[in-house]
Amino acid sequence: MRSTTWWLARRLALAVLVVVGAATVAFGALQLVPGDPVHVMMGGAAPSEEVYERTRHELGYDQPLPVRYGEFLGQLLRGDLGQSYQLHQPVADVIGSQLWPTVQLALAAFGLAFVVAAALAVTTAGRRSGWRRVASAAELLMISTPGFWVGVLLLTFFSFRLHLFPVAGGDSLAGLVLPAATLAIGLIGVFAQVMREGLERALEQPFVLSARARGTGETAVRLRHALRHALIPMVTLSGWIVGSLLGGAVLIETIFSREGLGRITATAIAGRDLPLVTGVAVVAATIFALLNIAVDLLYRVIDPRMKEVVR
Amino acid sequence: MNIRIQGGGRHARAIRRTSTVLAALALTSVTAVACGSDDSSDTPAAASATPVAGGKLTYATVQEPSCIDPGYDPSTVTGVIDRNIFDSLVSQTATGETKPWLATSWTVSPDGKTYRFSLRDGVTFHDGTAFDGAAVKATFDHAVDPETKSLYAAALLSAYQETRVIDPRTIEVVLTRPNASFLQSVGSPFLGIQSPASLERSAEELCTKPVGSGAFTFVSWTKNRDLVLAKNPAYQWAPDAADHDGPAYLDGITFQFISDDTARFGALTSGQVNVINNVPAANIRALKANGSLQYLRADSPGLAYSLILNTGREPLSDVRVRRALLRSVNLDALVESVYFGEYNRAWSLLSPTTIGYDKSLEGTWKFDAALANKLLDEAGWTQRDGDGFRTKDGKRLTIVWRTGAQLDRDGRGVVAQGVQADAKKVGIDLQYISEDVGTFSQHIFAGDLDIWGGNYQRPDGDILRFAFASDQGITKGGGNLFGLQDPTLDRLLNEASTTTDEAVREKNWADAQQYVIDNALAVPLTVGANLVGASNKVQGLRFEQSSNLTFFDTWLDPTK
Repeated sequence: MRSTTWWLARRLALAVLVVVGAATVAFGALQLVPGDPVHVMMGGAAPSEEVYERTRHELGYDQPLPVRYGEFLGQLLRGDLGQSYQLHQPVADVIGSQLWPTVQLALAAFGLAFVVAAALAVTTAGRRSGWRRVASAAELLMISTPGFWVGVLLLTFFSFRLHLFPVAGGDSLAGLVLPAATLAIGLIGVFAQVMREGLERALEQPFVLSARARGTGETAVRLRHALRHALIPMVTLSGWIVGSLLGGAVLIETIFSREGLGRITATAIAGRDLPLVTGVAVVAATIFALLNIAVDLLYRVIDPRMKEVVR
Repeated sequence: MNIRIQGGGRHARAIRRTSTVLAALALTSVTAVACGSDDSSDTPAAASATPVAGGKLTYATVQEPSCIDPGYDPSTVTGVIDRNIFDSLVSQTATGETKPWLATSWTVSPDGKTYRFSLRDGVTFHDGTAFDGAAVKATFDHAVDPETKSLYAAALLSAYQETRVIDPRTIEVVLTRPNASFLQSVGSPFLGIQSPASLERSAEELCTKPVGSGAFTFVSWTKNRDLVLAKNPAYQWAPDAADHDGPAYLDGITFQFISDDTARFGALTSGQVNVINNVPAANIRALKANGSLQYLRADSPGLAYSLILNTGREPLSDVRVRRALLRSVNLDALVESVYFGEYNRAWSLLSPTTIGYDKSLEGTWKFDAALANKLLDEAGWTQRDGDGFRTKDGKRLTIVWRTGAQLDRDGRGVVAQGVQADAKKVGIDLQYISEDVGTFSQHIFAGDLDIWGGNYQRPDGDILRFAFASDQGITKGGGNLFGLQDPTLDRLLNEASTTTDEAVREKNWADAQQYVIDNALAVPLTVGANLVGASNKVQGLRFEQSSNLTFFDTWLDPTK
């Protein structure tokens, strides 16, 4: 127990470093982007000199870079994400309002992809049948189909033709179906391939042989014994995928006119809205770091051997 | 007035987030002054039916504002939304005639510098504050306050000195110099009168929770999704330019932000929204063929989508090369093939619905490749290199046209390729370079380009002054990107903006348009238009002179 607490404390300290690092990279990257940030931020407008100078001063661009970075870090450590230049609102409010739709979409897409992929993998793993080949081909197709195209197809069919789901459903459940399905389609292929491979490897293990020898049915062998092993690489993958989904899915959000961090970020980058960009980076990095801790904890649950190894 | 490489003009057909992610920065556009409506030819035949009150309208628009304080934000969509929330001192009819609104009458001093307005009685803002002279003063002072950092409204009041409140029902606005466009500007939604109590609030609240006296009140704005307005039942001060008195017919308006073209058009055809803008030109045939939908369009006034030429450096410093470029483009064929006849080619820098448009330019500079070749020969570009481009003293005839990647929309990239191909036929190496907006703005400020392409939506010919007068340099907040110093244009345009004589203004603007073409200072390409699709249920949908939609007289026909 003590070892777990110690492990957790160390991981949390590392997470703080990751977050500060991500914020720094975001801050630095926006310095490297060409163009006067004040001009770009004002929509590239040619404001009068007075307005230009005032804005420049208010945003602190008349200060040297190290000073600005110092102020930025100080603010960040106080937990203040600052004020969005373009939206004239506190960054925390902007992100707060967009976070829930992002989480909804990410979890729905992940859940959907996981269930479908698990079903595909369990039914087709290790079977040299035509089905396996068909499933495998379908998965490849799903991986390589661009998400925006899938989105438009789904919209055309299910929304424009059949009127089953809205084009822009806001945060209603009906409005979540098509975007989640679009995102999931891209994931199912990856998930199913990873799980099938894990399953197939597990099915070759001696314990499967002994389970079969005890007379356990094929389905039970797969679900009860092999799937658990196949889940280890899946868990690794999940931490990464859910993390990136929570950063927002710009194209999907755009096609389905959804709220979400992805579009907010894209607009903010285009408009050189530094506080908002770094704010999103901080939030995304935090979620990412916490998820990874959760994933590592999950390993210990799924595979008790890990307790001995991971410290 | 501001150049927008923008966060939002509509004619910009801007797309706040286009299907390609970043379109947050649209270009150069636009920003309209509200005027009367027009384009009766395409307005739906609604006149016969009697309007019915009730129902909510959903309007899917391509662009989303970042702030809806009219005193701050310059984007067209802000003007369209704010027109419903805010009333102005004056209203304008289809012909650009000024009519009373919150001001019941006005007089102008002989020197053209003082406007005295008598204000309407009994008007209240949505927050219960009574409308009076102090509200007008607070609104105008807010627009010009450097603290506001206004990107447009302040420019509309460029000659503003002060507002004197004579008594609660009388004010005088004093200008530092005569401004012929003043009443026009005052009628714009960007100078819509705000509640003085509301103006005491923070910039954040002004941006997100506007309070006016208009026919609709602000309800909510969910970023990236929609903005909701509700009918103001107490509204009894409709503009004289409107078709009816009393409250609006609609119970509410929802502006839905759908930037993806396919999704927006599909939302209309499947009945999920009532009205959309920016109908892609390729979808218009389908729209016209659909019996339950109607198609409306209005040409946008202002500077047509044009190429402004940099006369300050080689090779376009030579008027013969500029003329050759002007005549080398087979514009009729190009515009027809790209836009299927939905956009018109331009003959002048001003579009035909602009006050001051010079119709006599039409047909005067037809496509003439032979002439272009002759002009280039005369200019000494007589040799050809291995790629077939003209050279002089071993240097290729290269012209650089830069644009921001996000500004390439509405088929403009395709038009650019057409221009490029036509230029090549006469031996000009026209390079169309689409780059990141930051890099693009760097190049603009460094003057490192030969061609800038863009448009501005404006009601009258004063936009020419913005684009060409020598005191409108880019660092002064003007649109004279290449620092042109032309005494003839300066005289014509400055006189037009200050004269109180209508005839002089018209003549000067006409002369200036002729001058621009004669000297090939620019190549006008296409006339921007607002292409709108709507359900047949929607009646009384109107375009203002600005080509923006207005919803005050709009109603939903329950029988359809």
